[in-house]
Amino acid sequence: MSSADFAIETEDLTKVFRSLVRRREVRAVDGISLRVERGLSFGLLGPNGAGKTTFVKMLLSATHPTAGVAKLFGVPAQSPRARLPIGYLPENHRFPTYFTGVGMLDFYAALSGVGRRTRKRRIPELLEQVGLAGWGDVRIGKYSKGMLQRLGLAQALMNSPELLILDEPSDGVDPMGRIHIREILRELEAKGVTIFINSHLLGEVEALCREVAIVHRGKVILRGAVKDLTAGKGYRLTAVNPPEGLLEDFRRRSAGFEVADGRATFQFPNREAANRAVDELRAAGCEIESLVPTSHTLEEVFVKTLADQS
Amino acid sequence: MRITVALVADTFREAFARKIFWGLFGLSTLMILFFLFIMKIDIIEGAVATISLFGQQSPRQWEVGRLVRQVQSSIAVFLYTWGMALAVFASSGLIPSVLEPGRIELLLSKPVRRWHIITGRYVGNALVVGLNIAYLVLGVWSILGWKTGLWPKAFLFTILFTLFIFAVLLAVVVLIGVIFESPALATMVTVALMILSPILAQKNVMERLLSSEWSRNIWRGLYWALPKVYDVGRMTQDYVFDRTVENYAPLWSSAAFAAVVIALAVLIFSRRDF
Repeated sequence: MSSADFAIETEDLTKVFRSLVRRREVRAVDGISLRVERGLSFGLLGPNGAGKTTFVKMLLSATHPTAGVAKLFGVPAQSPRARLPIGYLPENHRFPTYFTGVGMLDFYAALSGVGRRTRKRRIPELLEQVGLAGWGDVRIGKYSKGMLQRLGLAQALMNSPELLILDEPSDGVDPMGRIHIREILRELEAKGVTIFINSHLLGEVEALCREVAIVHRGKVILRGAVKDLTAGKGYRLTAVNPPEGLLEDFRRRSAGFEVADGRATFQFPNREAANRAVDELRAAGCEIESLVPTSHTLEEVFVKTLADQS
Repeated sequence: MRITVALVADTFREAFARKIFWGLFGLSTLMILFFLFIMKIDIIEGAVATISLFGQQSPRQWEVGRLVRQVQSSIAVFLYTWGMALAVFASSGLIPSVLEPGRIELLLSKPVRRWHIITGRYVGNALVVGLNIAYLVLGVWSILGWKTGLWPKAFLFTILFTLFIFAVLLAVVVLIGVIFESPALATMVTVALMILSPILAQKNVMERLLSSEWSRNIWRGLYWALPKVYDVGRMTQDYVFDRTVENYAPLWSSAAFAAVVIALAVLIFSRRDF
């Protein structure tokens, strides 16, 4: 694979903030090497102060790396050319309130190199897409937080980006709005747009991203496909009124168990153990209510990974 | 070009929204109206009547012409002092506002070079003030011309000179804005330079008064290093009075100062982390 096959490619990317007065050093990003393939939806996770935002800012050349290299589609990140195919929605954005929705989209699109004719066509389309049709001529000082977030997303899409970098994209957005944003992002992913999300909302990242990386103290401590990281925990078996003898036996063999309202639920570590239990229960004339594979949630993976580190 | 136009237009939009443009425009309009009022008073009406009576050959024309130039010179001085201070004060927030967290990151994420952002903002700001200077000078020039029939074009150079010296001082505003993000500090430093300028301009007198060579060198050094607001103001007056300007050094040395300061601002802005 050549460098241009990766939407994002960093090698030993490092940022050290130095305080001249106190002579203190903070290693915000510590040698991160990361490759994100074109067309992938990727989530960057980490606790507050882990270095996620600094990493993103270095990709956008808003912050200069102390060491290492960052490339976007094979072009060094410090070159303006690297930012041509990028749409970005910053966290805690502060759009100038003197803009109307249309004015704001027009201004940032012009800076992205979008021609006047395309801007004129794209603005109503995108306002419609993010659910702000009819709000284009209103000053954005009057927008709610959720509306600003939607407008920010429209802004990031104005130049039809190949890489969309979103910092907390659904921050302040109501549940319906979140679903709407998720649908928009899924459509973009289906069109081959690379989506890079930096978020604290693990459920959202789990629902949207195919791959994730967890950053802690400036380093990537875990990276992998969401389905691999969350899969393989075991099977949950629920039976109706199992005989007392089997109940005691299963208590010893299962990883966890619970009895309530005449139903017993057992957690088995693998498929074989679950199947053997089903056979024994059926042989004893017991009814099986359900057998479902269980997985880790991304939140469990996240918490466990951080706990292992500390 | 598209990017420059967008950045300049954005500066105008912000100047309108913050009432900076309209504030300067309102003051200029008040000044023009004040002139209209002044032109109605007897002494000027009398002078104007005299010139009408005796026509172009009248010996009184010289007096009226002198009066017109005096008035124009006063306008130039007003622009140089209060007008300039007001313009600096009004412009001091336009750079720090761009550097606000949450706004600058988005600007920097666009395929725009950092020097472009600073210079686009600088040009936009200079144009906001330049348009108001042109409006005021052309307004006063038209009223005086209409009332007296005298249209000395030299007064129009006031637009260029005033805009030039504003552009020089705006460079300082930009530099302070980029480093400290403080509109108040930017105003203080720039006004201090304006106050310092007529003092430093007395270098010939000071060279006689100062006892040691090194103190004379410091005085000379400061005079040549800093913008010559006072000297360029004197040049403007010379132009208005059709006097020959022999020394253009204050002009080019102030331009060099502005170029260095803007280059420094761009360099610092380019290296900053946001």
